[in-house]
Amino acid sequence: MDQLSVGEDLFATLTIVGLLCLFIAALMHSYHLYAERKNAYESFDHALDIAEDIKNRVLTASPGSIDLTMGKLEDYSKSLAREGIELRVEVRTLGDEVLLAYGPEQNPLEGYFSPPCSVSLPVAVARDQGSAQLCELIVWVGR
Amino acid sequence: MDERGVGYIADMLVFALLISFASLLLTGASPIDPKIESTRYAASFAQSTLLALQHSTADEFGGFEYQLSAFGFELNVPVIGESTKRDLRYKTLAQLLVEDALLNLHVEAGGIELEMLRPNQSMESRLRGFLKEVLDKLIGGRFGYRLTVKTLPMELDFSRVYFETEIKNFDDMAQQKLCSETIISTLPISQEELARLIQGVLGISTSELEPDIAVEITLELWSP
Repeated sequence: MDQLSVGEDLFATLTIVGLLCLFIAALMHSYHLYAERKNAYESFDHALDIAEDIKNRVLTASPGSIDLTMGKLEDYSKSLAREGIELRVEVRTLGDEVLLAYGPEQNPLEGYFSPPCSVSLPVAVARDQGSAQLCELIVWVGR
Repeated sequence: MDERGVGYIADMLVFALLISFASLLLTGASPIDPKIESTRYAASFAQSTLLALQHSTADEFGGFEYQLSAFGFELNVPVIGESTKRDLRYKTLAQLLVEDALLNLHVEAGGIELEMLRPNQSMESRLRGFLKEVLDKLIGGRFGYRLTVKTLPMELDFSRVYFETEIKNFDDMAQQKLCSETIISTLPISQEELARLIQGVLGISTSELEPDIAVEITLELWSP
């Protein structure tokens, strides 16, 4: 530019730079939302994998029913802890009575990389004489 | 403002336009198709529910009983007393469904359903109500559902013998089907016994029966 006309050019430049900053902030916000959503899907997917694993392998008593044994759950939780995953498992009756609670309660506001995600699945809990009780398995997973 | 100044501003505006376009794309874009994710959860939920139905007894939900009936009327006569009442609290929910299929087979001849003497007719409606309560407790709110129980039709000489019932809680116009999971059970009766049963009702020979009559229990989950 040969000469700078302070009145018009500077005002126009400042306006455009301000506008540009606004747009860039909006872009960053959009990306943040996108990343958050991606993270939420991945966490849910992971929590579902863990819940299925607990139901079908870790606590399984016979195909389709589970056994409330803490020992196996402890081993499984330790193996997840080595990968930096914190686990909480609850088994509740349909009347909301807690039959099993394992692991620390997870608070979404405490220092996790991603907010804890929970999944619940219906399960039959094996009781004596071959009978089973219909319950809900709730799994929280946090990183 | 000289011409070059106007040029810079136009460049900036185009750049801002590109950025806002990128923002819009990111806002609209979904990293994973949410339908795939909810379908996966629904499938896992449906499988777990069907497995749980195979293990949980009716006793857990207050028990299941019904009265034998004749010509559509329950035999609730004081003289007969409790002898016409069937208490099935010890049976699993899946066993109840299979027993219902066995005791309430429908017979169709020439496209018309024949009215048969079915002493266990009231089991069908009572069981539907009982299971609806159980499924509402277990699934209700999370998904819409339809549980269908059916046998493959047995084609006999002039007739067709089958069983089909459904329990549902969803609005098929507003909701979308997420998954359908099926377990297969067999009627707890030998082929000879079933042949005798059908022969008794229809008065026809049934030599061409399948060795095992399968009962399909299907649970469909629909978006909430």
